[in-house]
Amino acid sequence: MSYIIGSDVVRYACTCGILKPISKLYFCRHCLEVRCGFCVCHEVDSHFCGKCAENLPSSEARLKKNRCGNCYDCPSCHQQLTTRAATVGPKNPEDPKATPRKVFYLLCLLCRWSSRDVGIPDQSAVSGGWPERENIHANRLQEIQDMYKGIVLLDKQQKLEKDKKKQRRYMSFTDRTGITASMLRKRVGLPDIPHPLLKPKPKEPEPAVAKEDVEELPEELLTKPVNLCEVTTMEQRLVQPEWQPITVEKLFPIHKQLSVKRSQRCRSCEHNVSKPEYNPNSIKFKIQLFACFHIPEVRIVTVEPLRAGKTCELLLKFSNPTQHQTVITFLPVTLEMEETKISEQVTEDKSVVDDYLLEKKQPLSLTGTGSQPSSLLHASLSRQPSITVKPRPIAVPVVADITIPTSTFILPPRDDAAEYDDSGDTHNIQDDSKLVIWRKSNKAVVKLQVTPKEDLKIGDEVVAGFTMQHIYVNTITTVDNKEPQKCEHKVKVFVTLGNLVGSE
Amino acid sequence: MTSRNTIKIHHGSIVCEESKLRGDITIGSNCIIHPSAAIIAEAGPIIIGDCCLIEEQAKIIHRLPFDQSDKENTPVLIIGSHNVFEVDCTVEACKIGDNNIFESKCYVGNKLTITNGCIIGAGCRLTEEQTLKDNTIVYGRSCQMREGLDRPVPQTLQMDTLSKMLPNYHHLRKPNKKNQ
Repeated sequence: MSYIIGSDVVRYACTCGILKPISKLYFCRHCLEVRCGFCVCHEVDSHFCGKCAENLPSSEARLKKNRCGNCYDCPSCHQQLTTRAATVGPKNPEDPKATPRKVFYLLCLLCRWSSRDVGIPDQSAVSGGWPERENIHANRLQEIQDMYKGIVLLDKQQKLEKDKKKQRRYMSFTDRTGITASMLRKRVGLPDIPHPLLKPKPKEPEPAVAKEDVEELPEELLTKPVNLCEVTTMEQRLVQPEWQPITVEKLFPIHKQLSVKRSQRCRSCEHNVSKPEYNPNSIKFKIQLFACFHIPEVRIVTVEPLRAGKTCELLLKFSNPTQHQTVITFLPVTLEMEETKISEQVTEDKSVVDDYLLEKKQPLSLTGTGSQPSSLLHASLSRQPSITVKPRPIAVPVVADITIPTSTFILPPRDDAAEYDDSGDTHNIQDDSKLVIWRKSNKAVVKLQVTPKEDLKIGDEVVAGFTMQHIYVNTITTVDNKEPQKCEHKVKVFVTLGNLVGSE
Repeated sequence: MTSRNTIKIHHGSIVCEESKLRGDITIGSNCIIHPSAAIIAEAGPIIIGDCCLIEEQAKIIHRLPFDQSDKENTPVLIIGSHNVFEVDCTVEACKIGDNNIFESKCYVGNKLTITNGCIIGAGCRLTEEQTLKDNTIVYGRSCQMREGLDRPVPQTLQMDTLSKMLPNYHHLRKPNKKNQ
């Protein structure tokens, strides 16, 4: 499956200019644009542990340093550790009734590191209660943290007092009505209860002291051969920054890092394009505007051997993933004219909006209510983008020309039951027989002519591109627009056809 | 080549008939050899110890490095006891001790000597000339090595199950040697 979906032989141009296979693109239904992982806002929805699937609120996750309290990773190879059970003899072997005890230890199934390797005692409970290690610098780090918290609070306080001095002339409404304890204290003339962390001056921890006498370089480092099985690797040290063990006896299990579920939001209209369900056990989505559900998918069927300057046949298969019929038109791809075209489009849009405004204004002025037309505009489907994302030019060397066919073709809606229907295709679509050569349910194979450029060398990769225009039926309903809207959506498609072979 | 096959199987071993055994091979007692395992004694005899488990598609090949092939005396590949050769591993090591595990799809070249209690992780490729010390564990994509605390536990449970299951579904080679 991955060689069909995962490969990037057919790439679509995202609005931001990056080329990606359709499986990695989103389609915002509100601004009708293709979005990719680089041009959407990523938001963290929830933290969870990938092993025990425990959901943690973000504050707790921060408190635990984004680590799970119960699950551990191997300090040697950073894979998950599993709990293993072993039976040991009863505590008092003389007692004949005593049953053998079960004890548990941690084992890595990849590198076979176990908690017994470093002498961690076996636990009698499955969930462990494994000994936690105290960082020797914990106190110092806490002191420094407290100091900076104090500084931040002091800063805030000073700012507040500055503002207060300016406003003290008048009694504010809040003073009269909503009286809080702190306000009452102020009015009576008592000093405010200070914030527990707020001190006149944050206490500075002892400054670090420079030391002149450092440990001598042990001579055995130079004289004895190093046993690589005893020293830790760089990764092993850096994954535990608090301890940075030098030898393997000091490797202790690491709390497993939490994973996040994130939702993606379109940057221009602030609608979600992907939102997972909160439950860590669920792999479903609440919102999934993936491009492969909305934009026709293109696959390469075959291509004739590519020769420089020679025209050859290219068969592409189109499939319609939507529940609505669509019409596909080929347009030439333009790379250089990108900037001007967009500005043109913007002005065009503006004029459309102006017309719309005029239209709205006239009947309103007739009735004489004098309401704001702008608010009506906002209710319409085309929400004003909050951020305009400037598209970048597409950087791909297109080295082959596709002869753009003049005729269009229809793709029927997708029908999941069609697969089990043996009655055969009963569509009666008038096709241009030169263009469409095969058709079945929502799929069609079209024949195109492609000509690699003259100046290509043998073995060069041939990339061709075209703009696919398809009719997209938008099913989002708004207050004043109940009917699904049809619109033409264009997307640039680039196909990597393979390498050039010898030109006989 | 097939005419020179001399296969000695000690009592208690389960050797499936479909397994590919070539050359002079001696198999100790209580071994289990799966149907499509291959043991090829090309350069000289192979002697396998007791309680070895050789799984499907595992290949044990006795082949000499090119620079030693013209020596007069034929070397013998001695494999100790309690070794596990997992699915689709290729082992050409010139000496193997006891209690080793060769995990799935690993490759051990013919310049290596394996001592006791070693684990060659899944997919690891070892080709350089070296001797693996006792309880060495090789794992991961870049074949990192570490020293284990103890020998791996023998797979007795798995062996028991197999020795009950395999005779029900496969033709076996008859043990042709009595234990001394």
